[in-house]
Amino acid sequence: MFGYVIPCKMELKVKDYEKFKAYYCGLCVSIKKNFGNIPRLTLNYDMTFLAILIDSLSDNRSKFIKSTCIAHAVKKRVIIIDNEALDYAAFCNILLSYYKLLDDKNDDKNFKSILFSKVISIFTKKIPKDLEEIKQLIESKLKDLSLLEASKNTVSIDEYAHPFAELTGIIMSHYPKTMQYKNQLYWLGYNLGKWIYIIDAWDDLEKDMKENKFNPINKFYNTSNKNYLDFKLEIEDRIDFILTTCAEQCFTSLNKLQIKKNDELLYNILQFGLMEKMDIVFKRSELDYDKPL
Amino acid sequence: MTNPYEVLGVKEGSSKEEIKKAYRNLAKKYHPDQYGTNPLKDLAEEKMRELNEAYDYLMKNSSETYNNYSSSTNNNYNYKNNSSTDFNSIRMDIQQGNINSAEMKLKQMKIRNAEWNYLMGVVFIRKGWYDSAQNYIQMACNLDPSNGEYRNALNQFGTRNNTYRQAYRTGNYRRDPDMCNLCINLWCLDTFCECMGGDCI
Repeated sequence: MFGYVIPCKMELKVKDYEKFKAYYCGLCVSIKKNFGNIPRLTLNYDMTFLAILIDSLSDNRSKFIKSTCIAHAVKKRVIIIDNEALDYAAFCNILLSYYKLLDDKNDDKNFKSILFSKVISIFTKKIPKDLEEIKQLIESKLKDLSLLEASKNTVSIDEYAHPFAELTGIIMSHYPKTMQYKNQLYWLGYNLGKWIYIIDAWDDLEKDMKENKFNPINKFYNTSNKNYLDFKLEIEDRIDFILTTCAEQCFTSLNKLQIKKNDELLYNILQFGLMEKMDIVFKRSELDYDKPL
Repeated sequence: MTNPYEVLGVKEGSSKEEIKKAYRNLAKKYHPDQYGTNPLKDLAEEKMRELNEAYDYLMKNSSETYNNYSSSTNNNYNYKNNSSTDFNSIRMDIQQGNINSAEMKLKQMKIRNAEWNYLMGVVFIRKGWYDSAQNYIQMACNLDPSNGEYRNALNQFGTRNNTYRQAYRTGNYRRDPDMCNLCINLWCLDTFCECMGGDCI
């Protein structure tokens, strides 16, 4: 579920690469400041993208400092601090990671998920009161998603992706300082969430089919119960179509926003990053790397 | 209590028929009996309770006057004759961004001709449900192959995606203009020059 929304590193200018890292490290520090040290393990790129997007809609100047990193103790890193967008993204990061762990715990019932979810639950109590509404909305959408996935009925792929897409739409559009862009941000978030849900399902398709676990693509499209390889050939183009349409809509929404800074970085992520990730997941790319940035 | 209109997914002022229909659809989806021994059965039961509460509340409190009842029967009688008016009103709804109303009107219609499929497709595009949208528009084209509007909509999917992909392909690989491009460009240039009275190659 996490780690799909990344920049196309090779097409980034060095200044944008450094900015991305500064936001990423900044998010880590913000999680530590607002929640504690252990939740920093849930840090991911998708929430970094959220922080960059909402921060880029305001023209406040970012505060950069140079500091040592707990995970990379050798060289000092440039980090953004005292940034409200990062604090909001940190909050969303914790919540989503917590619910994802709960989900894993229900699916796999492995010890690691159970332990980790108990730990993270302590930190969810530190959520500020004005963001309580978002927490309720996230909970309700994830509940809808679980029910939909567990039900014996089969619904269309669009309907399976709907709760998660709504969830990301809500997260993207509920940042208090960007209310004037609520509709465009919701549409961007909706399409991005749908893209994430479907590409995650596609990525996990082989494994889910082997282990007989729920997979929306398998459930809806595999009516003649084919094996993975035959099924993949049959359905590849259709999945590619849905993903490209969602990505295209994200990019179009981006154009409708008044971006005040970091525009090249954002264009890189939504125009190149998403497509590059699709190439990797569809195994069309010669590069098979998945190294962290 | 959460908004009962939101729980059932209907808008305020919906008729009792619409509320009943929405309740039936959601009850089918969330009925706890279909979960068996699944641990989510409790969740499903909770959701059913929510649905039942919302349904009871709306049934009691919806302002069901004589006028509403008679106008809904009127609509049922007239739909066969006024399908084109219905389609027009649906198109107006779509234009004004009133997607939920358009969708509900379409779902209530019994005739599912080419235009119905096309409008369902358009509604689904606005909702972001692209796979379903493409199916409906494809069906519309199949039912009425000569219609330019439907064909156009179907092609637009491909065109938009290709334009978006192009940026990635050309931005990424930055190939030199290939020989085909080069030769064709030169040939065109030469032809135009000769038309003008000159000669390039």
